[in-house]
Amino acid sequence: MKLILLKTWRDLRASRAQSIALIVTVMLGVASFAATVAAYRDLDTSYNRTYDDLLFADVTFSVQGAPETVANELRDVEGVEGVSGRLVIDTGLELPERDAETPDPVRARLIGLSASERPEVNNVLVLEGQYFHSAEDSAILLDTHFAEHFDLGPGDTVSPILNGTRVDFPVLGVVASPEYLMASPSKQELIPSARSFGVFFLPLGALQERLGATGMVNDIAIRLEEGADEPAVVKHVQEQLAPYGLTATTLRADQPSNASVKADAEQFRNVAYLLPSVVLLVAAISVYVMLGRQVRAQTPQVGLMKALGYSDRAVMGHFLLYALVIGVIGSAAGALLGLPIGKWITEMYAAELGIPIIETRFYPDLILGGAALSLVATIVAAIAPAYGAARLRPAQAMRFDPAIAQVKGHASLLERIVRLPLMLRLPVRSVFRVRRRSLTTALGIVFAYILILMVWGLLDSIEFFFTESYEIIERWDVSVSFASIQPPATQETILEWDGVRAAEPILQAPATMKAGSASEDILLTAFDPDQEMHVLQLPEGTTAREALAGGRLVIATGLAKVLGVSEGDRVTLETPFGTEEFILGPTTDEMMNAVGYLSIEGAQERLHTLTVPYNGLYLNVDDAQSRQIKLDLYHLPDAAAVQRKADLVTDMRGFMGLFYLLIGIMMAVAVLMAFALLFNAMTVSVLERKREFATMRSLGSGTGRIAALLFAENLILWLVTLAPGLLLGHWMALQVGTAFSADLFTFHIVVAPTTYVIAAAGILLTMLLATLPAIRQVSLLNLAEATKVLA
Amino acid sequence: MAFPLIIEMQAVTKTYPMGEVTVHALRGLNLAVARGEFIVLLGPSGSGKTTTLNLVGGLDRPSGGHLAVDGEEIAGFNETRLAEYRRKKVGFVFQFFNLIPTLTALENVEFALALTQRGRSIPARAGDFLSMVGLRDRADHFPSQLSGGEQQRVAIARALANRPPLLLCDEPTGNLDVDTGRQVLQALRDVNRDEGATVVLVTHNTSIAPMANRVVRLHNGMVDREEVNPKPQPVADLAW
Repeated sequence: MKLILLKTWRDLRASRAQSIALIVTVMLGVASFAATVAAYRDLDTSYNRTYDDLLFADVTFSVQGAPETVANELRDVEGVEGVSGRLVIDTGLELPERDAETPDPVRARLIGLSASERPEVNNVLVLEGQYFHSAEDSAILLDTHFAEHFDLGPGDTVSPILNGTRVDFPVLGVVASPEYLMASPSKQELIPSARSFGVFFLPLGALQERLGATGMVNDIAIRLEEGADEPAVVKHVQEQLAPYGLTATTLRADQPSNASVKADAEQFRNVAYLLPSVVLLVAAISVYVMLGRQVRAQTPQVGLMKALGYSDRAVMGHFLLYALVIGVIGSAAGALLGLPIGKWITEMYAAELGIPIIETRFYPDLILGGAALSLVATIVAAIAPAYGAARLRPAQAMRFDPAIAQVKGHASLLERIVRLPLMLRLPVRSVFRVRRRSLTTALGIVFAYILILMVWGLLDSIEFFFTESYEIIERWDVSVSFASIQPPATQETILEWDGVRAAEPILQAPATMKAGSASEDILLTAFDPDQEMHVLQLPEGTTAREALAGGRLVIATGLAKVLGVSEGDRVTLETPFGTEEFILGPTTDEMMNAVGYLSIEGAQERLHTLTVPYNGLYLNVDDAQSRQIKLDLYHLPDAAAVQRKADLVTDMRGFMGLFYLLIGIMMAVAVLMAFALLFNAMTVSVLERKREFATMRSLGSGTGRIAALLFAENLILWLVTLAPGLLLGHWMALQVGTAFSADLFTFHIVVAPTTYVIAAAGILLTMLLATLPAIRQVSLLNLAEATKVLA
Repeated sequence: MAFPLIIEMQAVTKTYPMGEVTVHALRGLNLAVARGEFIVLLGPSGSGKTTTLNLVGGLDRPSGGHLAVDGEEIAGFNETRLAEYRRKKVGFVFQFFNLIPTLTALENVEFALALTQRGRSIPARAGDFLSMVGLRDRADHFPSQLSGGEQQRVAIARALANRPPLLLCDEPTGNLDVDTGRQVLQALRDVNRDEGATVVLVTHNTSIAPMANRVVRLHNGMVDREEVNPKPQPVADLAW
């Protein structure tokens, strides 16, 4: 036993380069799995902990106006644990000058909170400064995202525009709110942008006074008791709030920030499980293949051990030990690497998103799961070929020549068609006659394609998203939305401003679409079908006018799939203007699912207005004046939100920052693993052919000629695997895209043609580089020894 | 200018480390081989016969002494010159044949020819060498389709392809049965007689010695004694 242990250790040392490559492969698989899944779990835990600690609402009701005392009545409803009545408005807000520059005004959500005591629902966590002292305070608390973006804190001043007038408020503190872990204005505007949207908390009394709404609230948030019958409680509360003009009931799942968080978490979960699982699977199969080849190459040693009297079990135990050492070291290294990386990802993510309460845990099941798969793979890798070798009679095993034993078949088809020169015949034969070796190397190459295209496809797809969304679909430069329907004069006035080239009226409203038992909240937009500021992505040959004709509703393709509807089906839309039935037109292939479009002429008919009803405008403006136009728009009495597309794109790219980080990590893992796979494949190939290469050198062939032969073999293998590698890589990229899609959007996976070229060229280069150590081995061969031994 | 002595070894030593031990494979070997001779190097295991062959064949370098082949001092050759030396001056026949498994018999011979020549006549010339060893009809067979003796004869043809003045054979019959071994030895004999190649054959099998012009017995890294066979025995008469 002691000798077998010694032999195992010596074998590992003798083939340390390959052993290290195998260990690295296992390590990367386990580490990437442990890190990303642990990070996902920690983020999920952190979100839930934040919600629990800060008393996040289960349901929020929006009313036109209710007395504050309504909260007391609702507390008596069975199943209600806590109630907070608030005043919530959206308006513009001006920021203080910084570095001789005045930032653009932003869209502000002002929330009036109970000041005398902490809210019993939707509390806030004070991160800097302090909470309100009393109801009479005229100070403001900033949401952390906004404060961080603009570097504001206690002592600064911000100026929301209330009733068309700018009002200064000193900043008392910076807080985090469970409602705005992602500061999304609405479910249809999921991408948070601290640059253009901020949340501010004021004492309820102060806000009521400024708005002339003393004693009134328009937002009631409730928490349910554990085990409460939510639908029943909601129904009861709705009945009680009906007299106050109930406009919306938002369950926690539909709350914009929570919906964003859950969508983000769902995406992260899919990516966290899928990408590393592929990496782990590739690692496991690669270990199986590579270790199998190494064991086969040792078949003569197996014969010798049996000839000396070792039992089959002892022989297999030797190889099992070899595999176990690889698996255990790789898994341990993977765990050591994966856990801190997972913690780091969690902390980075949480810091970037402003999650106030972070909880990280140790997940032994992840380490054990990843390690178990790797160990099973390494054990199976060793057992199967070792069993085959152990079954041979000793004399047979000792005569085993891996070089000859693998060579099967006749001349390849290529040779039968084309008479190749001898120096090309050799590499062609090496690839096509030695099928086991070629197949295992080819498998490594295909895996490399899968890993790289899977990750790079995501990057390309993000770029496609930006191009499609902001250059092809959204062609406006500035958009403005108003708090109420506007007269024609507003559009006319804006059109006369310097720098405004065109203005398209739009009517936008949140709506709930119902199809049978399914329903989804969407942002409904009505516009002139012939306008070109928002271009619908319809089936080829269909114009917007045709699609929207007859009052038809056009929805996103992804939404149609979610609801299981198609062109011609009837759906119901509940909007602030009423509930109506619509017939669906063709779908528009846009990435955001929660959208629906109507013709504005149809809207005018249904609403029976004399003029085109609009509460928003898409504008084309001169770039140089867009900032001033934005400022002027905010000063219009009814302006609720103004957006410059350029800012939106910048915010989106910033929001993607973390995603790029994750992709970067996965790309590094993919490239490392690809190199390890190819290095091992090349090295084992040379090991198996040591005698062949030594003979060539003995005949007088220089190392350069042998290197050329090896490069030619690699080139042939690369050509042979090009099509399957690219196809499988593309297919895997599509699967990742599917995993990446959520209910809220459909992610189109698009791999740029240049990516295929770069991936293919990169893999060829990696193959050639990975061959260099093997060529060096050939040049250092002890010819006297290598020509004498069989293995 | 042709030198009468094709191999000149004077006080050649070879040592190499084996763990913590230094092995003295050759301890001042003196050996001279005339052009056209058929030499058998005999000796027990560890006597230095294979080491001698490896040094002469340029597969290894001496630790000391003087080693000249065909008038050239090869000990100082760099790797590029050694490769050229192996191409042009030496043909090697190994115990385990060492044919390239993915090339046919003909192509294995072509492989050696292609190292020094160009042109469309290479396959034809390779065929001639196969005929020399009686294997023309097996030209398109791969090593896995040939018997041990046939493989060794292909190896001989390959070794002769560039008409080296020197043929070095390391236990060429070690892996073969008696009859096949005789076939191989006969092929070597024919090459020595008909082509004029100098043959140095290493073996531990004393039964082969009578076929040589001269038998050099090595012991403990040095020449122990030499015996001249004035009438070398025909291969057919050898028995072991």
